Order: sequence, then structure tokens, then C-alpha cells
Amino acid sequence: MDKIYIICVDDQPEVLNSVLEDIGSLEEKFFIEGCESAEEAEELMQEIDAKGNLVGLVISDHVMPNKNGVEFLTDVKESDMYPNLKKILLTGLATHEDTIRAINKAEIDYYFAKPWEKHDLLLKVKHLMTAFILDTGLDYQDYMIYMDQQLLYRRLKERV
Amino acid sequence: MKWLKNLLVFLIPAAVLILPQYLFFSDGITAVEQRVIAIFLFAALSWILEPIPIYATSIIVILLELVLISDKGLVLFREGENLGNLLSYKELIGTFASPIIILFLGGFFLALAASKYKVDQSLAQILLKPFGSNPKLILLGLILITAVFSMFMSNTATTAMMLSIVAPVLALFDMQDKGRIAFALAIPLGANIGGMGSPIGTPPNAIALKYFSADNMITFGEWMMFALPYVIVMLIIGWFLLMYLFPIQKTTLSFNFKGSRKMNNKILIVYITFILTILLWVTDFIHGMNAYIVALYPVGIFLSLNIVNKEDLKFISWDVLWLVAGGIALGLALDKSGLAVHLVNSLSFDGLMGYVIVILVMLLSALMANFMSNTATANLLIPIVAVMGTAIPGLLDVGGSNTIILATALAASMGLCLPISTPPNALAFATGFIQTKFMVRFGLIMCLIGLILILGLIVVLRNINFL
Repeated sequence: MDKIYIICVDDQPEVLNSVLEDIGSLEEKFFIEGCESAEEAEELMQEIDAKGNLVGLVISDHVMPNKNGVEFLTDVKESDMYPNLKKILLTGLATHEDTIRAINKAEIDYYFAKPWEKHDLLLKVKHLMTAFILDTGLDYQDYMIYMDQQLLYRRLKERV
Repeated sequence: MKWLKNLLVFLIPAAVLILPQYLFFSDGITAVEQRVIAIFLFAALSWILEPIPIYATSIIVILLELVLISDKGLVLFREGENLGNLLSYKELIGTFASPIIILFLGGFFLALAASKYKVDQSLAQILLKPFGSNPKLILLGLILITAVFSMFMSNTATTAMMLSIVAPVLALFDMQDKGRIAFALAIPLGANIGGMGSPIGTPPNAIALKYFSADNMITFGEWMMFALPYVIVMLIIGWFLLMYLFPIQKTTLSFNFKGSRKMNNKILIVYITFILTILLWVTDFIHGMNAYIVALYPVGIFLSLNIVNKEDLKFISWDVLWLVAGGIALGLALDKSGLAVHLVNSLSFDGLMGYVIVILVMLLSALMANFMSNTATANLLIPIVAVMGTAIPGLLDVGGSNTIILATALAASMGLCLPISTPPNALAFATGFIQTKFMVRFGLIMCLIGLILILGLIVVLRNINFL
């Protein structure tokens, strides 16, 4: 079975921990890693890729020292190294302009405003991981009970 | 432990390969027969324990056969004394395009077009309307509609489509209302049982079709004629049992279908081709074209009218086709090497009544189907029971090969008990509304009733001299 990673990035440890906790129930099937800066995340992602494993989803804060979230996600997008990668921006402080760039340049899949609903975040992560697994052509049967059922049915009924 | 299990899959067949020949049967066997035993063991172990995907096992079976027992195999394996009959490599490779593969391809094209133009979904919604808003009747409607679709589409695709309609409605149930279990179990019931209704409903049926004796062929139409009543009876029993085990408290239920789709030329062509193909399938006694040839009509029509394009071809389940091909190649090896006859003759079934053997084989088939793929079950059992039917006196009295092949194939659709039994069960289980114990309770009862009714069906068919 392929190792699929979910990377969470936030410079504030307490926020990072609460994200990790909210999606912790997925840890049985996916590898969940936390990073405190964009640079650390980029390094980790390259390492994962070099070992032949997959990054399925990045959840990133926006306002961070050095490289901010939108820049980070844009770089990841433009590197073309992670096809089908899903991206969530999780932030309380993003300007109108940042938000536009997040959608147009980084092509993020979802925007969460802080504070977020724990339940909504988990559902969205499941949804995006389901899309990643199906887009990448992995065997969905291995992950079935951690997937977004509706999306799974919709995509499966196209296969005959 | 896992690696040990996986290693056994390869070691046991390898050990069989190097044993001295006189150990096998009292009268000894040929080198080719010995290799076929090893390949068969590998296939059986690998399909049961799944160290590699089941479709990969099929491909390895064909590859092993080409190398070890074909007339163009490795030179080393083509000589020696007491070699036996080598198989034609053309025939082995030809299994990829065997008539039943083409039959399935035709079915896939129908399903592909139906799904692409959402004909299946619109039709399901239209068919569901007459069942009103009484949850009990809607439950029946869902079971029947799922069954009808799964007769012509894959059981998995049908289940996914129907669950996508049902799942949002299930969320409206009270947490305590057991009715939601009934609804979630209704879909795999319809899909698994409905698949028995036509030769292309599920691969075991098509595999059975291939092995029916040439002089007593069962046609597409004939299959539907006896399978449909069986399916309907099973579904009605299933409906009552679901309502009894999981009473529905909710009094009304309504579906909120968004917008009806307008008819256009392409959708019209899909409908017409669907109807034409099914009509041709069931009227072969008039026009003489068998089901395999008819299966190419939708392929030809959809491709030339660009209803199905080359991008869509990716959505075809080649894994299912190849899984079946490997089974045919395995059957070919058992038959052409002479091993099957050899094996059946050396086992003593004397004194056993025909129906006792049929019942034992049905139980084995249903048991295997609950723990592994239905198709792999049929791949392993049907080539052997086909020979049993021609060699065992007791079976000849009850209709010979056709009887036991039919019983085995139908019993292979009784994988109703566990989430792992079939993909429809797994999908329904993943909704989260069903606990394993509910599925086991309902599935076990249905499985026993199903087996008894298959036996009844066979006795009836025998008495009207059909088998």
C-alpha cells in the first residue's frame, strides 16, 4: 500500500497541535506530519517524494515568518512535483489580494477562516483525500472507510 | 506472519513441481499434468490469500502456462519423457479475446454509455417515482431497481450509483431508526442477487455459459427465463426479511431529485441501442446470432457514433476482463492436459447420489464466494465441476455437467454475509450505517434461503427436461 502524507503547516505550535488533533482520527491510514514553517514543510515534502511516497494534502496557515502560506502553496503548485496534490489555506488574516492569489495562483481547493469548526475540517480533509486517491488512481478499497462516501459513489459509478 | 503466508503461495506450487511423478496418482502422471497441478495450486492459493492482486494472479497464470506447458514455451520444458500434451500458445493467448470476454465488453459498453449520459440515474429516478412516499414500498422499489440495473451493469457500478441516490436520504432517519440499516442493506442485496438474472450480470454466470456442453447450450434468453423468476422470489423474500429484522419507523420518505434531463439525440441513441441489444440477446432463436456476436453491436454503434470515445475506454474494468481470461486459461490447461479427467477418475464418488454432490459443491462455492472474489471462485470450481459432470455416474442422473455448472455459478453469487464478500457489500458497509453483525445476520439467512431455492430451481429444471 502506498504511503500517503498529510502535511500541516503553522508557525504557532498550539494552533498546529489543534489541527493535528482534529484530523488525528485519520492517522490509521495516512501519515500526518506537522511543520512550523514553509521551509520545513518544503524540505519534508521533498524527502517524502524522494522516497517514492505521496503527499496528498497540505493544510497551511497564511501569516508566517519568512515565506507566507500563499507563496508556499504557489511554489508547491508551480513546482509540478506533486500532481493531484490538494491544498487547504487555513487563516485568520489574509488580505483580499492574498485570497485572490491563493485561488488564482496557488489554486487552493478550500479556504478555512480561523477559528474553524473541527467537524468541518475533518469532513473536508476526508473529501480532498478521497479526490486525491481517485485522481491518482490508487486502490480506493484500502481507504474506503476514511473516504467521503458521496464523492466515492459519484466517481465509482463512472467506472464500469 | 504476512510474509510467511505470501511465501507459501509460491513455495507450495514450486514444491509440487519438483516432486517425483509417481507420487501423484496410482497410475502416474505426465510432466505437463504435474505442472498444471502446480499452476492450479498457485492460482487457488493466490486468489484466496491475495499476496498479489487477483487480476495479476490471472496474468501470472497465463504467463506460467505459456512458459511451462505451451508449444512455444521454454525449450527446456518442451522435451523429456512422459511429457504429455502441450497446449497451443495461440489458444492460451486467445483467452484474452474469448467470446465471453467479448460478451462482457459489450455489457461494459452499455454501462459506460448509460453512465456517461446519466441515463442510468435518470431512469432510476423515473422508476422510483411510482413507489410513492411510503418507506416500505420505496425499499422494495430500490431493491428491484438495483437488481434490474445490475443485470446489465457491473454490480459495483450499480451499487455506487444507487448508494449515491440513497445515502443523502438515509441521513434524514432518526439515529435509533433501524430502517436505515434496511435501506443500506437493500442496495447490495439487489446488486448481488440481481446479478444472477442475466449471463452478463456477473462474471460467474458468463464463465458458466462457456462451460455448458456444446450440444445442450443454454442461451442468453433461456438463462433469463429461469433466472428472472428466481431473482424476483429472492428479492421479495429479502424485502420482507429486511422489514422484519430492521423495522422502519419513519412514516414518509421523499427524494429530492434535481432537474430532469432533456432528451437529446445521443441519449436517444443510448436508449435505442440498449433496447436493441437486449432484444437481440433474448431472441437469438429467431435471428441465429448468439449472445457473443450481439455483444459487439453496442461496441460498434457507440464507437462509430462517438457516444463512447477513446478517453472513455479508460473507464472499462480491464481487471475484470483479465481476471476472467486467467480463469479460462486455467480451465483450458486442466482440460487439454487431461488432468481434470484424470483427477475426477481417481477420486471415488461412487455411491454418492447426484444431488448430494451438487449440494456439497454449492456449499463450497458459496463459502468461497463469501471470503474471496466471486469470479475467482467460479474460475477455480467451474472447470473442475464441468468434468465431474461428465464422469460421475450419480451426476449424469441429475443432468450432468449443465446441472452442476449452473448450481456452482449461481451459488457463487451468494457472497452476501460479510463486508469483504463482494464490492457491493464493501461499499454499503462503508456508508457507516451497517455493523458487520447486521450484515452477517441478514446475509446468512438470505444465503441459506438462496441455496435452497437454487436447488429447488435445479430440480424443477430437471423435471421439465431442461437440464
